[in-house]
Amino acid sequence: MKERVAITGMGIVSPCGLKKETFWANLKRAGSYVETVTRFDTSLYPSRIAGQVHDLDPYTHLSGRLIKKIDVFSHMALVASEQALQDAGVDPASVDKNRVGVFMGNALGGWLFAETELRDMYIEGREGISPYMASAWFPAAPQGQITIYYGFKGYSKTIVADRASSGLALWYGARTIRQKKNDYVLAGGMEAPITPYALLCANTMGGLSKQNLTPASAYKPYDLYRDGFALAEGAGTLMLESETQARRRARQIYGYLQGIGFASDGYHYARSAPDSSALEYAITQCLEDAGWKTGEVDYVCLDAEASQVGDWLESRALREVFGAHCDRMAMSAPKSMFGNLLGAQTAVDLILTLLSMEHETVLPTINYQMHDPYCGLDYTPNVPRRRSMQKALLLSRGRGGIHVVVAVEKA
Amino acid sequence: MELSEEVLQTICETLEVKKEECPPEQKLYDSIGVDSTEMVELVVALNKRFGIKIETNEITKFSTPSQICEIVANKKA
Repeated sequence: MKERVAITGMGIVSPCGLKKETFWANLKRAGSYVETVTRFDTSLYPSRIAGQVHDLDPYTHLSGRLIKKIDVFSHMALVASEQALQDAGVDPASVDKNRVGVFMGNALGGWLFAETELRDMYIEGREGISPYMASAWFPAAPQGQITIYYGFKGYSKTIVADRASSGLALWYGARTIRQKKNDYVLAGGMEAPITPYALLCANTMGGLSKQNLTPASAYKPYDLYRDGFALAEGAGTLMLESETQARRRARQIYGYLQGIGFASDGYHYARSAPDSSALEYAITQCLEDAGWKTGEVDYVCLDAEASQVGDWLESRALREVFGAHCDRMAMSAPKSMFGNLLGAQTAVDLILTLLSMEHETVLPTINYQMHDPYCGLDYTPNVPRRRSMQKALLLSRGRGGIHVVVAVEKA
Repeated sequence: MELSEEVLQTICETLEVKKEECPPEQKLYDSIGVDSTEMVELVVALNKRFGIKIETNEITKFSTPSQICEIVANKKA
């Protein structure tokens, strides 16, 4: 029997709370954390709403000397990683640092730092730009900063795959545990897209809700009047280790990463294919990898693109794979409360799914008011439900037709 | 303000460290673990503050605050 990969620590920086306790308490309220972006002038942006992190500084112990060298996405990843280490009871000073890896997902890079410094370069010339620009903006920067901060030297990677980035990061990290390349892996993702340029890019990319006058109810996946998702910023990090090691350390195990399935549409560089076959294939592969039958799945954490075609195809794929079991298992998109964190989203979905399992509560899809006849599933509208859950799938899809499905089992 | 004091102040403000962390005769690498990117930032800050032109290879992370002060003084002269 293959060694199971246990999750023993969680760290979260999100619009609805930092630290898992606050995150869960706020999620249970089933309210919205999507609001108007006021950090800069967004009056000409088609979509100017997002889930934002307002209170990062009180949670950080980083020196000013370090903070000025890094973008906020690295800052958030460092805060989430510290929480995960503490939650798992791992003291960086007392582990073999050659065998601690870091696997992170990101979609856009660190644009707040880059935008500011490039502006200064064009105004002041070459001496106006910070020398830290070179190491601050790119998607692998947070992974590098985490390894440098703690001195971790184990096999590490950053994965860039749009909204599926951290799902793949979790899995590649888990694989190094199973292959015995690492004893511990910090895995997750981070994203900081609420900057003038990144928000502009996200708007150009499309898919964002433009219901700017009603931000709290703008992100309404599966609802007839949906018009896109809300962007969000934050980070989620999980501590992975072998089940044997976690039991030897007598740590609480939140759950196990049991399988993955991934597929590409092979259709267009930006648009998704007009059918659900690739997502169906990814779900089927994931179930096979985990060794589960369709009837065993208790919960599906949905991708919730909140586009007409995206929601239809996701619903159709679930119906095709699960058949009548779709009406017995629970499913929802709790991210409708705070937005989609792009490259960090699957890690955040994993954290909220583990917390849902622990508290035997299915978090709802909020803002669901008008039934869409082409989305005929029960998405757990608006209010949480009590339910015991043992096995769950997390769905994530990225631009251009990448589909990643992760299987997680409660300990 | 004396030049040595002003140079030390520039080092501390630029690198966000305290004066007592940077003894004048100790290499910056040994005292505060400065890295090469921080040294680029420091050279730019010194050039701006004193209106001089130090190249990035003239002072290194193995320079002491006193040596940096001497280079600044020579450039100003």
